[in-house]
Amino acid sequence: MTFRVGIVGAGFMGETHVAAWTAERVTPVLLDHDAARADSLAGRFGARVATSFEELFAAVDVVDVCTPTHQHADVAVRAAAAGRHVICEKPLARTVEDAEAIVAACERAGVRLFVAHVVRFFPEYDAARRLVAEGGIGDPAVLRLKRASFRPRRAPGHWFFDPALSGGMIVDLMIHDFDYARWVAGDVVAVQCHSVAADRPELGVEHAYAILTHESGAISHVTGSWAYGPPTFRTSLEIAGSRGLVEHDSAVAPPIVTYLQPRGPDSDGAVGLPGSPLAEDPFRLELREFRGSIERDVAARVTARDGVEALRIALAAAESARSGRIVRLRSAAAGATR
Amino acid sequence: MPGVELVGLWDENDGRGRTTAGRHDIPFFPTETALLGARLDGVVVASVNSEHRRLTENAAAAGVDVLCEKPLATRLDDGRAMVAACAAANVRLMIAFPMRFSPVLAKLSDAIRGGTLGEVVCLEGVNTGEMPDGHAGWFADPVLAGGGAIMDHVVHLADAYRWLLGADVTEVYAVANRILQDHHGGVETGGLLSLRFDNGVFATIDCSWSKPRGYPTWGGLSIEAVGSAGVASADAFRQHLVVHRADAGESWPFWGSNADVGMLTEFVAAIREDREPTVTGVDGLRALEVVDAAYRSVESGEPVSVQRAE
Repeated sequence: MTFRVGIVGAGFMGETHVAAWTAERVTPVLLDHDAARADSLAGRFGARVATSFEELFAAVDVVDVCTPTHQHADVAVRAAAAGRHVICEKPLARTVEDAEAIVAACERAGVRLFVAHVVRFFPEYDAARRLVAEGGIGDPAVLRLKRASFRPRRAPGHWFFDPALSGGMIVDLMIHDFDYARWVAGDVVAVQCHSVAADRPELGVEHAYAILTHESGAISHVTGSWAYGPPTFRTSLEIAGSRGLVEHDSAVAPPIVTYLQPRGPDSDGAVGLPGSPLAEDPFRLELREFRGSIERDVAARVTARDGVEALRIALAAAESARSGRIVRLRSAAAGATR
Repeated sequence: MPGVELVGLWDENDGRGRTTAGRHDIPFFPTETALLGARLDGVVVASVNSEHRRLTENAAAAGVDVLCEKPLATRLDDGRAMVAACAAANVRLMIAFPMRFSPVLAKLSDAIRGGTLGEVVCLEGVNTGEMPDGHAGWFADPVLAGGGAIMDHVVHLADAYRWLLGADVTEVYAVANRILQDHHGGVETGGLLSLRFDNGVFATIDCSWSKPRGYPTWGGLSIEAVGSAGVASADAFRQHLVVHRADAGESWPFWGSNADVGMLTEFVAAIREDREPTVTGVDGLRALEVVDAAYRSVESGEPVSVQRAE
């Protein structure tokens, strides 16, 4: 049976997903409000283009939402209402209300919902979590997670820089590690965060620290940054447990390093991506798992509820950074369904 | 150290004191009073934390300058009394914060002061290590040490931050647990702090005893400073070899400059030059105030204001 996927949004993430689906031998159908952009991306990968939601939904079984964050809910709810399974980029939505609306729409329609928390598919993160889950370091106690890069090179006024649309660096970038912390150490009950952007907006510096308290008693330190100079994209994890410690730092262990003579202005891409050479990139592993999960009707490693909870933590961090207060969260177990 | 005579050593544990004195070929004094009466210019207080106050006050009464191990004391009122006693007796009180003498951190300080990073906006510090429960089990004793990982480690970074920023901590949020190293005893083994300074800068400290036995080194101390012009990461103990032996695991022998030597040299120089040391009992008190606030925050689950001890 062919697996028919439609991608909404032909921007940065849309392109990443088109490439991953194509590598998985799935030729997606694209929809973007900017038809020229959709045509251009489709042309590079031999994909097709739809010109309306109706046309897209008629042609596919699964809708992969790669629009700007604030549009996720509208697109995902439409897709669910049309009876299409939904894969949604992270963050699941801009607000918890929108995220819950997506979950409810998918439950109502009886379709699957996957949130693309791709860090769970990065082999080093997956391996560390597996090691912890197997008891390799005892009970998790103190986690340190860092994701640091430069300010994305996009035009001023781009939706990405408008916290009302993207949630800002805390919601867009740090959510990766909030989700990972929760995956490793369980539900979060208290969130504290300080951010330069909240304190000193005039500086244009994005850097934040969040401290999470998990229901288990574990505590997590999460750093997110756009304050490094390009082309840095540094990620690190450290999980200390009752009987051991697991560490990984992309800055300490790069498997390939170049030492080139200077040759004019650099030619980095628009957004830094962590890259350790792999036979199959994490986006591909992620989408393959989602596909298999739909085809065999089994759970994927990241659930819709995980997407909602990660957003809840991220929004709590943003609120703490603004208010200076500790934000308490109820345990997700109370509201968990699937 | 040239021109310095190690007059002798006293220890509350007679056997241990005699062994150590013998190993270094220096006299052992049976009482602290005898040692303090031996015409000393300075004394190093390296007892359990809870004895710092008594021994420092005795030294002050004897007119002997003091270099006191960190933390200054286990309680704020003890620290305050020590500073007052030394001031009243007109003796110097230096606190043992060796990181002030780390050439790596000095380089970071230069970068900050020289404007390399632009305006500094936040700092992330990690001072983690093995749980000191083997040869020095008192470090995990709530009475003798005054606490666990927070009492043991926070003062180093709290002081380094004050030194780097020229600012004081006003607010502290802290969380802690007792999961690491399977420790379910009376003190915390894991802790994270969030600090706010009076110049608006914020910072965090990881003080956890998170290095398991068998880690290649005892632990370490690092600071990442973030400014409007970029980021600098400094690791005070990154200057090490990596050694693998067939009969043991990996180890990291340190080859960098010994900050303890710089610290002792400053103690001697301050006495010789009849001046205040560059890091004093008041600095020790300021760092202890952060520790005190951290414990109050852990208790309340809320950010708390730092209480100035004077």
